[in-house]
Formats: sequence, structure tokens, C-alpha cells
Amino acid sequence: MDPLVLGLIVAIVTILILFSGVAVANGLLIVSAIFLLAFDGLRSLELMPEILFGKLDNFALLSIPMFILMGASIASTRAGADLYEALDRWLTRIPGGLVISNLGACALFAAMSGSSPATCAAIGKMGIPEMRKRNYPDTVATGSIAAGGTLGILIPPSVTMIVYGIATETSIGRLFLSGVIPGLLLVGLFMAWSVYSTWRQGGHDALAAQSYTWKQKFEVLPRVLPFLLVIVGVLYALYGGVATPSETAAVGALLCLGLAIVIYRMTDFKALWVMLRDATKESVMILLIIGAAGVFSYMLSSLFITQAIAEWIGTLDVNRWVLMIYVNLFLIVAGFFLPPVAVILMAAPILLPIILAAGFDPYWFAVILTINMEIGLISPPVGLNLYVINGIAPEIPLKTILMGSAPYVACMVLAIIILSVFPGMVTWLPDMLMGTAVS
Amino acid sequence: METFVRVVNHVNRVVGVFAALLVVAAVAITCQMIFMRYLLNESTVWQTEAVIYMMLGATMLGMGYVQQLKGHVNVDLVPLLLKPAARKVLLLIAALASVVVVGIMTFYGFEMMHIAWSRNWTSDTVNAVPLWIPYSVMPIGFGLFLLQLVADAIDTLQTPAQDIELSGSGH
Repeated sequence: MDPLVLGLIVAIVTILILFSGVAVANGLLIVSAIFLLAFDGLRSLELMPEILFGKLDNFALLSIPMFILMGASIASTRAGADLYEALDRWLTRIPGGLVISNLGACALFAAMSGSSPATCAAIGKMGIPEMRKRNYPDTVATGSIAAGGTLGILIPPSVTMIVYGIATETSIGRLFLSGVIPGLLLVGLFMAWSVYSTWRQGGHDALAAQSYTWKQKFEVLPRVLPFLLVIVGVLYALYGGVATPSETAAVGALLCLGLAIVIYRMTDFKALWVMLRDATKESVMILLIIGAAGVFSYMLSSLFITQAIAEWIGTLDVNRWVLMIYVNLFLIVAGFFLPPVAVILMAAPILLPIILAAGFDPYWFAVILTINMEIGLISPPVGLNLYVINGIAPEIPLKTILMGSAPYVACMVLAIIILSVFPGMVTWLPDMLMGTAVS
Repeated sequence: METFVRVVNHVNRVVGVFAALLVVAAVAITCQMIFMRYLLNESTVWQTEAVIYMMLGATMLGMGYVQQLKGHVNVDLVPLLLKPAARKVLLLIAALASVVVVGIMTFYGFEMMHIAWSRNWTSDTVNAVPLWIPYSVMPIGFGLFLLQLVADAIDTLQTPAQDIELSGSGH
């Protein structure tokens, strides 16, 4: 059979199986088993555990459970609330200081946690009620947090960037740096929209300046500074040549666990266990998908599908930007339904050769891909952040949350366009700090 | 039946706690390794390999417990749109397919461990770890995952269709 036709059949079967409600990792294994059995025979099934084991037998992957543990330990404290409170008290003269503080806190929190829902929940729990109390429209209060939370996977450390780095064999350190300026660009766009939207909906008293005494300004600092020090420490270890991303993640996890216990007095054994259990749950889930996706991509290349697709795209004579638009549409649609990690693992190995052949930078593409995944996180039908917000603010109808998030999706699309016009915004920082990329 | 479900739930909970502790131990050993290397300038021999196997062990052994917590993400859009009775049938079919493929992984995972054991394979590092030890997490982990899938399927089968709860988020 023509590998391209076979590829189409695999794609259809994969979609059908994943939509049946089976766990994503199991679904990938089921599809792989069906096609390996049909085309390579029974003996090929015995390779499946070996490939899965081999895929996970990788020191770089260790950074995933470590960064998840680091994020989970901070997320289990009230560090998120303290962060925006501190920002709010110091940014008194800026109109819309509270929503700006919340978004800033999302960005800072994202710098300690690689997960979007964790960021969303940590800041939103206190941030949304506070914004509503100060008369911000519900759409802005929920939309800004939903969107701000998605920064978790763009601003380093980011679990999806690690997965991309492993799937495409690109430098994780460079990927992290590539996400910094685009992350700040998104924060800026989110802030601008939030303030504009609040003003247009007549929230003038919400935008009015609040005043705090110096005592109030200084009393929050001791609770926030340790976390800022951890961020600086982790970044130093990563880029000062002290340790690899995995080792840095371990140090970060240990420091944050220590801070949570010392500063936030998280000595309650039960709370510690819940945090540890949730972190382990997320790590196991992601690592199993990584292993299963390894088996899946082995099946694709064993059946010559990967090669055939790359060849086929090569013969297509399309403008590289038209190609990029198609790739973006594909990614957005995939992101609507699938978790970012699964999309990256299935799509990156197939898309990357195409992207490189069209003359795009792999690090720039990582950022574009991540922003596409962020859109999926705040779009129906399975936008996780929307449900997180719905969980922490059940009194606000899901429809309002959706309406509130939609303009932020537009901000993300705008960011993709800006980054396409000025790709240097992605590559400048890593080039300056790490030298020009070799590839 | 109820006893089986209860025993499986209990065993996987205990193994799940062990998996979580493995992650914490991996953090501690990695930090110890950095301390030895950068502050004491001593060479580190066993740590890298040990933490990789611990992470692998935590992942494989944790699969069953994560299944129990409904923590393996899925796309539940179609099940949500279906009527309860149809949803129950679809969930059971999905569970059956999972049981089959996880059974395949358990069986060949055991073969993989058995071959490594009978041929005395060792890892190609200075430690020369006998490979059947790390490989053993494959049949054990997938075996526990298999048992949990069966236990959860029994649970689904016995629950009236309109009371079945979906695991929730799609991410």
C-alpha cells in the first residue's frame, strides 16, 4: 500500500480511537499495536515495551517530574496570591493596577512552574474574587487569568518546551530562552487588552488608583522575595553553566519544597502528600504519553509513513508562509482537542523536517507551536484553563468565561503574526546569551 | 468481585505512594550529585543511572495508581455528547481495548525482563547494572495497570449508566 494512503488511514483510526474516550497514552499504544500487527506481524509487538522503555531511559526527561514537583510545591502555598498582592501594592499609580498585577503575577508564577493549569489556579484563586470585588467586569477578571495562566507553558521553565526539545533533539536551554521575549510580548498584549476592555465596559472605579502605606508595601516583600531568589537561582544554574536542565530542575524542586515548608509552614502531612500525589500523577501521565508516543512514531517510520509525508511535502511547491498558515491551522485544531504534550510528540517529528526545509528556525517554530497550544488551552471544547477558572469561580457562568477569553485568543493570534514579521524577537535573546545556533 | 476491586485499589495505592517517594528520592540524589560534583569536585558514578531508573520505575509503577485517580488524560468530548447507555457501552469498549494493549505490554515486558535475566545483560556503564532489575518495572508496572483497568471496568459495569462520572478535563 502507498505509505501516504496508509498514513491517512492511520490518522483516521487514531482520531476515532482517541475520541472514544480512551486515555491518550493507551490510545497511541492501541493504534501502534493494530498497525504493527497488520503490517509487520506478531513479532513486531515484542518491540513495543523495549521502545517505550528506551524512550524513557533518558536523563533529559528527568527535568519533567522535577519541574512539575517544583511548580506543584509553590502552587500548594499562597505564594500566587502574595505575588499579585505585592505587585498591586507597588504598582499603585498605574491605571488598572490590579489586573496588571494579576497578569504580572501569572508571568512570574509561570517562571517557577511549567504548567498552565497550575499557574491559572494559583493566581486565580485569590485574584478573581479580588478583581470582582473592585468592580472589574467578570469577562476581564476571568479572561485575564485564563489567558495569563497559559503563559505557564511559554515562559521557562516549561514542560512542553522540554518535550519539544526531546522530540526534536533541540537544546532545551535555548528553547527556554526563546520563550522569554514572546512571553513578555503576550503579557504586554494581555495587559493592554485588559485595561482597554475594563475602560470600555465603564469600569472607571476599577481602574482608579489605590493607595497603600509604605508599611503595607514592605510587609509583603518577605513572602515574595524568596521566590524571586529561586527564579534567579534557577536561571543562574541553567545559564551559568553550573548544571543541566534536569539538575537545575532538581535543585529548583528542592528549594521550592523547602520554601513551601519553611515560609508557608506547610508542615501538615496530608497537604504535603496531596501535593506530592498530584505532582506524581501529572508526571506519570506525561511520561507515559512520551513513551507511548515513542512507540507510535516508531510505528509510523517502520511503515515508512513519516518519510513519505516529508517527501510529499517536499514536492509541494507552496509559498513558505502559506505552508506556515496551514501548519498553524493544523496545530490550532489539534490543540482544541488534545493536550499540548500529545500534539507536540505526534506532530513535531513530522512537522520539523518540513519546517526546516522551508527555512524556518526550529526555536522560532517551538514558540509558534507553543502559542498555538496556549490557544487550545483557553478555547472550547476542552480548554483546560476554562475549566480551572470554572472550578475556582463557579458563580460565573462558563459562557462569560468563554466570552472573556475570546479576545485573549485574538491577542495570541496577533502575537503569532508579530513574531512572524519579527522572528528576531525569538532568536535575539538566545543568540546573545548562548551564541548563534549551529543548526 | 468487590474483594478483587478493593484489593487492587489498595495494592495500587500502596505502590503509588512508593512511586511518589521514588520521585522525591530522585530529587534528593540529583541534588547530592550536583553537590558532590560542583562543591566537592568529586566524580559521580552511580547517580545519573540511578535517578533515570528511579524515574522510569516511578512512571511504570505509578501507572496503575494514576489510572485509579483517573489521571490519564483523555478526550471525553464524544462520551459527553452520548446518552448514558451508549456512553457506558463506549467506555466499556475503550476499557477492553486498553486491557488488551496493556496486556500485550505486560506479556512482552515480562519477556524482555526474562531475556535480560537469562542472558545476563548488563547496562553499558561502569556500574554494569544487571538489566533485568530495571526491566522488571515493565511487567510489574503494566501488570498493576492491567489489574486497575479491569477493576475500573468492573466498577463501570456495575454502576447504573446515568451515574457514571467522566474523568473530567481533556488535558
